[in-house]
Amino acid sequence: MNQFLKNALLPAMVLAISSGAYAAGKHDGHHGGNAIGEPGKEEDVSRTIDVTMLDNYYEPESISVKPGETIRFRVKNEGALVHEFNIGTADMHEAHQEEMQMMVEHGVLKGDRIDHEMMEMDMGNGHSMKHDDPNSVLLEPGEAREIVWTFTKAADLEFACNVPGHYQAGMYGDIEFEATVAAKERVRGESESESVQ
Amino acid sequence: MNKCILAVVLAGLMPFQVFASEYDISVDRVQIDTGDFVKEGIGYNGASPGPVLRFREGEEVTINVTNNLDEMTSIHWHGLILPFEQDGVPGISFPGIKPGETFTYQFPIVQAGTYWFHSHSGFQEPNGAYGAIVIEPEGREPYRYDREYVVQLTDKHPHSGDRIMRNLKMSADYYNRQQQTVGDFIDESGEKGFMATLRDRMMWGDMRMMKMDIEDVQGFTGLINGKGPDQNWTGLFKPGERVRLRFINSSAMTYFDVRIPGLEMTVVQADGNNVQPVNVDEFRIGVAETYDVIVHINDEKAYTIFAESMGRSGFARGTLAPEEGMTAEVPDRRDAPLLTMADMAGHVMDHGDMDGMDHGEMTDMNHGDMKGMDHSDMEGMDHGGDSLPEDPFYANGSGLIPTAANGGKFLSYQDLKAQKPLYEDREPTREIELRLTGNMERYEWSINGIKYEDADPIVLQYGERVRFKFVNETMMTHPMHLHGMWSILEVGEGKWNPLKHVVSVAPATTVYMETEVDAPGQWAFHCHLSYHAASGMFRKIVVEGGPDSPVADGKQSGNQGGES
Repeated sequence: MNQFLKNALLPAMVLAISSGAYAAGKHDGHHGGNAIGEPGKEEDVSRTIDVTMLDNYYEPESISVKPGETIRFRVKNEGALVHEFNIGTADMHEAHQEEMQMMVEHGVLKGDRIDHEMMEMDMGNGHSMKHDDPNSVLLEPGEAREIVWTFTKAADLEFACNVPGHYQAGMYGDIEFEATVAAKERVRGESESESVQ
Repeated sequence: MNKCILAVVLAGLMPFQVFASEYDISVDRVQIDTGDFVKEGIGYNGASPGPVLRFREGEEVTINVTNNLDEMTSIHWHGLILPFEQDGVPGISFPGIKPGETFTYQFPIVQAGTYWFHSHSGFQEPNGAYGAIVIEPEGREPYRYDREYVVQLTDKHPHSGDRIMRNLKMSADYYNRQQQTVGDFIDESGEKGFMATLRDRMMWGDMRMMKMDIEDVQGFTGLINGKGPDQNWTGLFKPGERVRLRFINSSAMTYFDVRIPGLEMTVVQADGNNVQPVNVDEFRIGVAETYDVIVHINDEKAYTIFAESMGRSGFARGTLAPEEGMTAEVPDRRDAPLLTMADMAGHVMDHGDMDGMDHGEMTDMNHGDMKGMDHSDMEGMDHGGDSLPEDPFYANGSGLIPTAANGGKFLSYQDLKAQKPLYEDREPTREIELRLTGNMERYEWSINGIKYEDADPIVLQYGERVRFKFVNETMMTHPMHLHGMWSILEVGEGKWNPLKHVVSVAPATTVYMETEVDAPGQWAFHCHLSYHAASGMFRKIVVEGGPDSPVADGKQSGNQGGES
């Protein structure tokens, strides 16, 4: 694609990504309260959870939180590819994956790096393609960042990497709410490794 | 006879426990029932396909292969990196396994992923001698899934391999059932005019090719894990699960376009090597390739695994279902694609004396004759309009460029990027050009115009990095398989270029691959279409030097068997 075309497409992308961000942050508001939680305050942090990104999975793959708890996530990318850490519902992740697919198609997101110049380009209307939703971080190999997040109430949440293909290949983790752990009998984790001919 | 049955029973009971390091395999005459026909064939441990061998990366395996046939046999461990004496190609790696003899293979497992094994003797592989290999990685899998299945495809033909080869030699279009007929000619004349249609037919006739020449051998039944479409191999799942499917194409001749209507597939591995995950709706699996995909199934319903042959002359079908017996709709096959002028662009044309025609020997285009071609005709051919998809691994305007049945994403080689590069990226030390050549009418296939039996080996030096340039001058697609060393497919991604063991080269295209020459000894290198390999599209590779191996002398030695 030529440069002109690329630039012509940028505003459309900005719109798409922004609307995604709002969807992620506010959509659940319609159903009464922030179901996925909200950005937390430093002073409320009760504990820190280290999350390591690898190609293509997390360590740990499951975390346990309490409703109302504020947690500092220290996220480090120890893989060789770009990864995301995003707190949301499965539906939100699915919607965000389409946006990230666009970022790949338009050359903003490469396998092992982010084209920051392109991503942060000011489109003249105050918008950019910055991936700066408060519930997520997008990290290049070797990068580390923190998210302080308050889980206001129990919800069906996952942390996930929405770089195209990564979530589907299994780069996601479960967020268990301690009060509801027993209720959630989800089959998860290790492969049963069975083969039938 | 009793002994034979006992061996089969024991084989079924004892070996093939997960991660055992010693295996017994018997090579047996078996019955193969496709649902359409029952045919005597060759199998392992009493069945075709043979067992799924489960190895673990890092272990040393010992495999005792007992030949219960009345002819020589061999097993090649397709895609495995191992000492060349263990590679199982008669005449190159070892002499072969005599009737009644037990040969013991022993080698370390130095990789992980999905592979397969098959006989490298005569046409035993198309006759049923194949099985799957699954290697668990030393560490964890870089994915999450709840269960997995091997999905091994083949194109089972009612004729034996020897008979098919004889028939092809007698008449290359023996099995081409979709030949254009007089009726087609009249129809097309109505659309395009009589002269244009006539010129079109004459041009293709001159090339000893027909537009339908996508599949040499039609009339097969597509099998999944040994089961025909009506026998419907079924893999069970629980709703909500992620299922890993290890697709292996063990066909003699057939490429398949694979889809699971209603499910997106995430490709995570190609030819045993992890790739950066790609979401697709459909993919094409060349002969001898493997692709691993993960599907996430939420609904409590059945899904059809549908694998149409590239030329649409046959299909394989299986089902993923929450319980046995559930089925989903089986789609109709799409229309057969037609080759276009673009597919013959790499083809050497000589409109003069046809008797002297041998594509291999004719390195130069006859430009005088080229001028004689009426280019206005070419415009009118199935050259494709603006709507045709593009894929650098097909000629521009090729009739073979695949599209997904649902209009979605079809996997291309250019989507394949290594998940974790195995080698440092470096400049190749030299380039070797290999023209893929042939004469369709005589059913002769060759490399640089020279058949295997007349060719010197390709000599490589241990430690070099060689760039192979494949130029496909034929109108067939050739899945080129290098034994013993990885084929680093050039997709323009530098260090992320994927590692493969089969590189498919479409008609009229040039494809590059690089190889780190890190395996001393002598190796086979050939087109994996059984009847192309057997008729000469085959080379021996000799790797001279090495860390601890005697220097190979580069001479051809003795029996040059190892067809297919």
